[in-house]
Amino acid sequence: MGMGFVTYDVNRYTPRQMVVLPMVLLIVSLAILGYNMASTGMPVKPGMDFSGGTAITLLNPENPDTLRATFSGYPLIEPIGEKFIKFGPMDDAAFESLATLVNDQYPDAKIDQIGPSFGQTLQEQALLALTISFIGMAIVVFLAFRSFVPAGAVVLSAFADIAMTAAVMSVIGIELTLPTTAALLMLIGYSVDSDILLTMRVLKRQGKLNEKLSGAFNTGIIMTTTTLAAIAAMWVVAFAGEITVIRDIASVLLIGLVIDMMNTWLTNAGIIKWFVQKQESGQRKETGRKRGAK
Amino acid sequence: MNRKDIIELLKNWQVALLVILLVASVVFIFPHVEDGKLTTNIQYGLDLSEGSWLQMEFQSEVVGFETSRPVTDFLTDLQKELDAEIYLIADDKLEIRKYVPEPELGQIFTAAGGRLTSYEQGVSRETGEQVKQILEQKLNALGTRDAKVNPLTSLSGVTRYMRVELAGVSLSQAKDIVGKQGKFEIRIHTTGNETEHVLYGDAITTVGIPSQEPPGSDRWGVSFTLSEEGAAQFRDAAIGYGATTDPENHWLDMVLDDAMVYSAPLSKDLAAKLQVEPIRQLYASTGSGQAGLNAAKNLEIHLRAGALPVGVSVAGSGSVSAPLGDYFKTMSVLAFVVAAIAVGVVIFYRYREPAIVLPMIGTNLSEIVILLGIAALIQQQLDLLAIAALIAVLGTGIDQLVIITDEVLHEGKVPSPHLYQKRLTRAVGIIMVSAATVVIAMIPLALMDLSTLRGFAIITIIGVVVGVLITRPAYGKIIMAILSK
Repeated sequence: MGMGFVTYDVNRYTPRQMVVLPMVLLIVSLAILGYNMASTGMPVKPGMDFSGGTAITLLNPENPDTLRATFSGYPLIEPIGEKFIKFGPMDDAAFESLATLVNDQYPDAKIDQIGPSFGQTLQEQALLALTISFIGMAIVVFLAFRSFVPAGAVVLSAFADIAMTAAVMSVIGIELTLPTTAALLMLIGYSVDSDILLTMRVLKRQGKLNEKLSGAFNTGIIMTTTTLAAIAAMWVVAFAGEITVIRDIASVLLIGLVIDMMNTWLTNAGIIKWFVQKQESGQRKETGRKRGAK
Repeated sequence: MNRKDIIELLKNWQVALLVILLVASVVFIFPHVEDGKLTTNIQYGLDLSEGSWLQMEFQSEVVGFETSRPVTDFLTDLQKELDAEIYLIADDKLEIRKYVPEPELGQIFTAAGGRLTSYEQGVSRETGEQVKQILEQKLNALGTRDAKVNPLTSLSGVTRYMRVELAGVSLSQAKDIVGKQGKFEIRIHTTGNETEHVLYGDAITTVGIPSQEPPGSDRWGVSFTLSEEGAAQFRDAAIGYGATTDPENHWLDMVLDDAMVYSAPLSKDLAAKLQVEPIRQLYASTGSGQAGLNAAKNLEIHLRAGALPVGVSVAGSGSVSAPLGDYFKTMSVLAFVVAAIAVGVVIFYRYREPAIVLPMIGTNLSEIVILLGIAALIQQQLDLLAIAALIAVLGTGIDQLVIITDEVLHEGKVPSPHLYQKRLTRAVGIIMVSAATVVIAMIPLALMDLSTLRGFAIITIIGVVVGVLITRPAYGKIIMAILSK
């Protein structure tokens, strides 16, 4: 294949073999999300933006033990970092005194506080935005292809991307916040990028299916790799600099892009391969019958 | 490429537009040195510059109701029971300016002979706009460097939250400013230009909304109520200085923070009544037509002296210090540069041909410059999330340039111009579809105003639109011109 470090051959497996792994993972992911939903009411643990709370970001690192001692009178949430501290919800008076304390001890800090009811509103709106975005994306895809199976494959892959990424987030403990919601929405865009390339190449170009699939795979992998490179760079800088907003976005996108590679080149490629092979064999039968009739 | 080729290339409208937009963007961004520091016209949001934000929640609700009784009777009973300002904002909708939980309100409605049909915490869009105006006037009066007030109005037209962003101000200062009231005073003309104090704003107990007097006359004004003590002071001053007998020579001035906001004589009717007894319910007329209505709206705000017509609670707040803002800014630039380099390395690894890689990176970066130019032009603030959007645009941008490159260089050969155009069209078709999905996916965020996510969505949408309409097609032409050498 084109790039030395990619050894997967998109033409080696049958459609059925291709879709087995992602479908099993999708079921597992949906089970995880469903379990979370049943036990907590949210598919992924909501972070401070949605459940309410206070976060403090320091300019210079500080020993966690010192921080624990300084803020012992407040509802600290463990684990605490050297620069980033979170608190559970507290009343206005407690927040005022906390803000004063922070202002005295760490005048250069950043404070953010979200009340529980405001968080609840944000959460409802964010879930609504995710749903509307997904439906909007599906409509565009169906309008673009006007064919049920290829369009359905793209939408299914995008759905699997979001569901699996959310499941991984929940397993490794990345909370759903405004930034990670933005990342999931971004993922809808990234996800369909390579899917659309694959579908357009296979359906609209002339030539053999195998060649078209390999060509699309070569282009698609380089696309995802460059994006991964940009996001990985963003992650490294944000991780080193403890910029939690960007770090969380980058983490979700990294997970999502890796999952997207699988869903594009197994799920979507598998379905489109099956679709084209079925059409071709249909055409062969058709021409065969015509010849027989002569 | 020699000069002639470059001129040929510039004749292509997409390439020409790219160059023009690049130049225009640099003008809009306007990088210049001020006080020894590099400065631009780009506006930074609260993560990246010193400031505070307050998310305020209205202690009020908009409710639907039904009643078989005459509406005025029903409202009178409600008013008595709730002891709150109640406004009829549509035939079957009320704005109640006091927070009462839904079950409790439902019982009160039933007791008053009606039924609660809908309940949403917040205020009407008009009230929301009015609060925004009051806050903006206050902030402007205080000379706050840069202040933004955004009501968050739901699709049903109810404003529950108001977000206030103040640059260069600490959280406690921000709370003081928002909570602070102006100094309101009524003064009376004595002789010539001399005036004397009559009462202060604390004597005003309630302020009505603009109304017509008599109703339907198109003559506008604002009613307000004085405390008993205030009404007595008012009567004493009016009689003492002779305003009741000679209103035309003893006008009353209303002064807010030492600036006169209203001046008029006592009406004959009121002058006569004041001779007899103190009057608590007063009405200040402001003229007729639209001008009268506008003046009435302003006067209402002034009478409230910066106090908000609706109670608010702080639903969320935050602040960033100047050094931390600078730190985030530096890290954002660093993240962006590292991301751009990483993209360049991968692209070079794949194509190994500077003639392809350099235009690719160049196009990609010019997209970002144009995006920043537009952001500076429309005064879209950049915050950390917007930076993440920028890097994401960088990522999708390069993706799509890869699609174009691979599509036109199919089988490694440079195609004939005709075939080339066909392939470029097909490539642009692919990127159009994926761009459309990204834009559609971001539209809810751009419209819903989930605080900081809005900037993220706007930056993403602008970036994608600039990319598919201008820079990426232009890249197609440029790469063709280079490769056909």
